[in-house]
Amino acid sequence: MRDNLARPLTEQDVVVARELPDILEPKKRRSGLVGFAFRHPAIAVGGGVLLIMFLIALLAPLLGTVDPSAIAPSKRTRAPSADFWFGSDMLGRDIYSRVMYGARVSLTVGFGVAFFASLIGLVIGLVSGMVRWSDGIIMRVIDGMMSIPPILLAIALMALTRGSMGNVILAITIAEAPRVARLVRGVVLSLREQPYVDAAIAAGTRMPKLIFRHILPNMLAPIIVQATYICASAMITESILSFIGAGIPPSTPSWGNIMAEGRSLWQVKPFIIFFPAIFLSLTVLAVNLLGDGLRDALDPRMAKRI
Amino acid sequence: MFGFIFRRILTTIPVMGFVALFVFSLLYIAPGDPAAVIAGDQATPEDVAKIRAGLGLDRPFLVRFAEWFFRVMQGDLGTSIFTGLPVSQMIAQRIEPTLSLMVVTLFIAIFVAIPMGVVAAWKCDTWIDRVVMSFAVLGFSVPVFVIGYLLAYAFALQLDWLPVQGYRPIKNGVWPWFENLILPAVTLGFVYIALIARITRASMLEVLQQDYIRTARAKGVSQKSILFLHALKNAAIPIVTVIGIGVALLIGGAVVTESVFAIPGLGRLTVDAILRRDYPIIQGVVLMFSFVYVLINLLVDVLYTLLDPRIRY
Repeated sequence: MRDNLARPLTEQDVVVARELPDILEPKKRRSGLVGFAFRHPAIAVGGGVLLIMFLIALLAPLLGTVDPSAIAPSKRTRAPSADFWFGSDMLGRDIYSRVMYGARVSLTVGFGVAFFASLIGLVIGLVSGMVRWSDGIIMRVIDGMMSIPPILLAIALMALTRGSMGNVILAITIAEAPRVARLVRGVVLSLREQPYVDAAIAAGTRMPKLIFRHILPNMLAPIIVQATYICASAMITESILSFIGAGIPPSTPSWGNIMAEGRSLWQVKPFIIFFPAIFLSLTVLAVNLLGDGLRDALDPRMAKRI
Repeated sequence: MFGFIFRRILTTIPVMGFVALFVFSLLYIAPGDPAAVIAGDQATPEDVAKIRAGLGLDRPFLVRFAEWFFRVMQGDLGTSIFTGLPVSQMIAQRIEPTLSLMVVTLFIAIFVAIPMGVVAAWKCDTWIDRVVMSFAVLGFSVPVFVIGYLLAYAFALQLDWLPVQGYRPIKNGVWPWFENLILPAVTLGFVYIALIARITRASMLEVLQQDYIRTARAKGVSQKSILFLHALKNAAIPIVTVIGIGVALLIGGAVVTESVFAIPGLGRLTVDAILRRDYPIIQGVVLMFSFVYVLINLLVDVLYTLLDPRIRY
């Protein structure tokens, strides 16, 4: 090294930088829907599959289905064919029609629970985070509720009432809401330490305005992400409840109760379980992908952590 | 240390009290006559009247709760409507299969998930990482009974490697017991593995960026001992936490897995109780599982201090 420095510089020692063009071309960035899909593939794929499921649920009567509860005892447990695309169950009902109509139940339960659990959790979490004296009591109750495994809590609630879609949504909402409340409380507590909140308080902002103007907008991203995960988990819980006979009664086809009815025959007629299982898994997968995508897009710091 | 453990045990007492109060009041919050709910669907009006008198609905709620709680503390969980047997006795009869299933699942899950997460973090942003993470998303998305039927169809019906259904008590030999538990445990462990692997990866990624890892690498520590000795130990806290929290998934999943694989455990007891509308059993099972869950999370908290001496409460 020292020898090199000792001798005089020659022309080979000088490295000249490559000449740059006068104007650097801007990196091409696609705009519009296609660009969005390229930048957030998880949101695009998840949202796309979910959209298809929504269309199926909405347009179920138009998709070549027959009455999903029409029984045909002479055509029991037929394998999938041109007449019965997904086969028929042990009462001769068309599984294709039942699966198409079943999309309505799963989506209603999933989004219903996501909405109500987020709303209830938001209110409880805000009260707990903003009203100091209530925090201790609310958190002890929430600790107690979260000590009951959510599926068991939903089972216990369903055992007390009749099986119906409303009751299923209510039961799963009660089981999921404490999770949101705890998340919201955590976010409120960290937001309250922010200088801009102190500034707002110092400037004399009243509580309602403080909440709606300064706290809520910063809460939206984590709540939306949490709501998608709750939606996915509610769909699974609904299918489990229906599967063990504590959910939606068989008169309304749901993916869970179609599988429940195929349970006794699964070794010989696996197709009864197969088709609803595929649709359910695909939908839940889509919602989970959407959640992961939204998390990455809305909150890059959170994405790094998980 | 022991002072901390003692104080931590004291804090679980109010939580357990709230769980008990909540489970007890469910019966009264729900619409309809609590006596009719307890009596079940086949009850005659006389049965309902008898149960109503037994519930003592004329006395204040908190008095009834205190009496009930006192009986629960003595191990009396009430009487089953359908069999007329004490609920605690019925639970005791069914506990072995469920406990076996959960313990085997726990072991399989931990031994599969942690190496998976560690390797995914090590090979971050390669195809190995992507496979592990896709598996994790898939594990969260496929309902446990669907996995059960798929595995049973492939490994029991088609390949005939393992028994399709049933349970053998451990006293009749360890291998028959274990053989019957492999498929149910893998089924039940699927979500759990996904959860633990995901957290392990995230926690490891964070630890692997720290300076002491670079130092270890610089002084020539082998990759294996960097990952499993230096990094994993410091990444352990979130992993142990999620193992504790995930027990809730195991409990919920056990109910379903036992119906798929015809295992005569607590899950079957619950499902049968739902079909017969036998509420005292459901109440007893929920209460017992919740207490177990609280105790496991207490254990996790105590483990923190062993894993990380810096943690002092």
